[in-house]
Amino acid sequence: MSQQNAQSGLDEVEPDWAWQAWQPSDNEPWNAHRIAHLFRRAGFGASQQQIESAEKSDVTAILENLFRDAADTDRAWQESTDLAKAVLNGGDAKQLAGWWLRWMRVSPNPLREKATLFWHGHFATSADKVTDVESMLDQNQLLRQHSLGDFGEMVRAIAKDPAMLLYLDSAYNRKAHPNENFARELLELFCMGEGNYSEKDIQELARCFTGWEIRRNRYRFNSFQHDNGKKTIFGQANIESGEQAVDVVLRQPAVADFIVSKLFRYFFRDEVAMPAKLLKPLAEQMRNESLQIGGVLRRMLSSNLFFSDIVIAGKVRSPVDLAVSFLRSLDATTNYRKLAESLNILGQVVFYPPSVKGWDGGRAWINSSTLVGRANLIHQIVRDENTQFESLPLAEWVRKRGINDTADFVDFVCGQVFAKQPQATAKNKIVESCKDSGGRKYVEALSLLASLPEIQLS
Amino acid sequence: MPKSLRSHSSRSLEQNNTSRRKFLQSTLAGTAGIAIGSQLPESWLMAAANSSKSDRVMVVIQLTGGNDGLNTVVPYRNEDYKKARPKLAIARSDALSIDDDTGFHPSLKGVSELLQSGQFSVLQGVGYASPNRSHFESMDIWHTCHRKEDRKREGWIGNLLTSATDSSSSDAPGLHLGTEDQPLALASRDLQIPSVASIEQFRMQIADDKRLKESVHELIDASNDQAGSDLLNFIQAGTSSALAASERLDAALKSSQDSADFPKSALGEKLRIVSRLISAGLSTRVYYVTLDGFDTHAQQPDAHASLLKQWSEALSSFLKQMEAKGQADRVLVMTFSEFGRRVAENASEGTDHGAAAPMFLAGKSVKPGIVGKLPSLTELDDGDLRFHTDFRSVYATLIEDWFGVPSAKILGEQFKKLDLLRPT
Repeated sequence: MSQQNAQSGLDEVEPDWAWQAWQPSDNEPWNAHRIAHLFRRAGFGASQQQIESAEKSDVTAILENLFRDAADTDRAWQESTDLAKAVLNGGDAKQLAGWWLRWMRVSPNPLREKATLFWHGHFATSADKVTDVESMLDQNQLLRQHSLGDFGEMVRAIAKDPAMLLYLDSAYNRKAHPNENFARELLELFCMGEGNYSEKDIQELARCFTGWEIRRNRYRFNSFQHDNGKKTIFGQANIESGEQAVDVVLRQPAVADFIVSKLFRYFFRDEVAMPAKLLKPLAEQMRNESLQIGGVLRRMLSSNLFFSDIVIAGKVRSPVDLAVSFLRSLDATTNYRKLAESLNILGQVVFYPPSVKGWDGGRAWINSSTLVGRANLIHQIVRDENTQFESLPLAEWVRKRGINDTADFVDFVCGQVFAKQPQATAKNKIVESCKDSGGRKYVEALSLLASLPEIQLS
Repeated sequence: MPKSLRSHSSRSLEQNNTSRRKFLQSTLAGTAGIAIGSQLPESWLMAAANSSKSDRVMVVIQLTGGNDGLNTVVPYRNEDYKKARPKLAIARSDALSIDDDTGFHPSLKGVSELLQSGQFSVLQGVGYASPNRSHFESMDIWHTCHRKEDRKREGWIGNLLTSATDSSSSDAPGLHLGTEDQPLALASRDLQIPSVASIEQFRMQIADDKRLKESVHELIDASNDQAGSDLLNFIQAGTSSALAASERLDAALKSSQDSADFPKSALGEKLRIVSRLISAGLSTRVYYVTLDGFDTHAQQPDAHASLLKQWSEALSSFLKQMEAKGQADRVLVMTFSEFGRRVAENASEGTDHGAAAPMFLAGKSVKPGIVGKLPSLTELDDGDLRFHTDFRSVYATLIEDWFGVPSAKILGEQFKKLDLLRPT
């Protein structure tokens, strides 16, 4: 980790510069390259039209728009909710995965979906164990609702979330046998990280949650099973209820440090440890703002560090990110149920995280079977009859976009999809290889581009 | 990785394209005896030279549903056995003799031959205290080494691979082959272990087109020559490995020499794929396959015979194939089931859920024969055989003696090792 930090140059970065709002200059203009970076990290990429329209605007206005809490009453969301209800009738969480992938692709609020995916990995719950699909959808909505809001509110809600409590075996939490599972994960994985609490804190915390039950997939407090004794958590005596206990946890200073460093991993770089001097000002801000997520994330995504070469192309794309960004930046739509199945091979099916720890990300995504799988995924998407580009077949869409030859097409795709531009020699080879393939040249070019190592970076 | 390692290739595939040759040289690190599916750091090469354990592979065959141990390894002279199983007992004349008291089920011809050639062992009386007779809970216990109350969601193989995997390798550390849900044994907090349904998932589909295949080779080859960020270099190396593995698999698939040997059964197909992946030089350490259907509550004889035949034929073909490919010394196969079955047969010519049962090891490194005694057929635990050997002792032995890593942390405590493998 430290070696990677040194290589990244992150250790030399001064916090004052890092978190200052980035301003365009002659050397670093507000251009398609930086706009695409912002849309990739704060969402799942953007179409050419979106990037062109952002070029006429400025970074402040674009961020304003990304963080704007667009009403969920809009038509797209209504349509999506209707679809979700249809999925519930089927009772199949794999369908629900397809539903969410589609919403990530079409949502007018991509940052919110990107953040919801972050929280899904953070508060990881799997439909493998929680077989009630409605509970999984309800949790997803809960995470979406709080994704850019108040972390404390989110934790209070998740502590009573049926899917979570079913997943962590806390659905029957009895006085005589307090279940430590949720208490442990609340401290270790959700709020503080290892090393910031004692086993005694966990035991006391677990007592506070006794009597919290799930009956018929709804939270219920069973006072007969609640341990009414006084508990001491983090040195604070006379704690009685689970609600009080959660508040004590949320008041610990380590919470903001933990959340900020996880946001850094997800939105900035997952291969390096966040240096303490960079963490400190953001964690302080988060504490001062009563654990609001939006403020600190907005500062991060507006910053000099975010728009620097340390961050641009410094992340391995998750499978979901690879697929949804590919579709979104090329105005494409596909069969999302099938996409959800394909992502299984690559190690990431939404609603099915591998463990309570969520997805590790970074290099853990990459091995020889997933790399082959990633190339095959794009290969299949572009050949699938359900895949359309603005409702058109690929060749017609390319014509509509005013692109006339393979070289222009390869340049266009590289600009839209790649965070790290492939070498000119590679692009030339692709053009050479496909230019005589007639109607298939664009499909072939996309398959070849998908085999380049650079496509894995965001 | 150090560039110098890329010249270690001693292997060359049939080809006449210079850039292709360069690609192969750069990726097929064919240094003797070392898994070539990955880019290896120098330190690891040294370790490999010093310890032959680092390229060892284990194949796990899970017999799902509860295999009837007593009709697999048959105590044909035991009067209590005949008494408990008036309809299901297998006669001495039908069984394949192991010794004066014991014989294999008549379907186990391949397994019987493996034993005769010194490549098979039967571990009698394996189980655990206070046996759970639910399929799922008992299977979870075998997978996690903990009871449900402990709420462990990590598997022993997941933990093993976390300890025994070289993190610089880009091949999957373990692999589950099958369409069923991934066995909990492979769950890990720190490693991602893929489940794949078919060998197609290791093949680059673009390679179906010869021209595009050449282009991919050239592209990946060229990308390796350029210096990028540390992260990009890692992905470049991984992409080369992936392409090389895909290439070797393609070559292996085209050579039809093995396919005739494998039985046309689900398990045969899975083990055929595993044999190809091992022969193709992936650095994957554990392959996991399952054979379902052992829950023989009714009309057991035909169903059980057919399942055992499938297991025996597939296993024996697999080991023959490993021998033919020069891989036999580094491959061990472990077979287990979540429990055995009740000693007494039931009224529907079947058997109900039981407890202790035999486990099986196969491969050239196994000390052959029957290990441990058959538990008493009269001193029972609710009608079931009592275990005398904890399954975790078997795991501990494999972890330490086969993989060469300490077992206590992986299993949660130190279990007594058994004398199961030949000294190396």
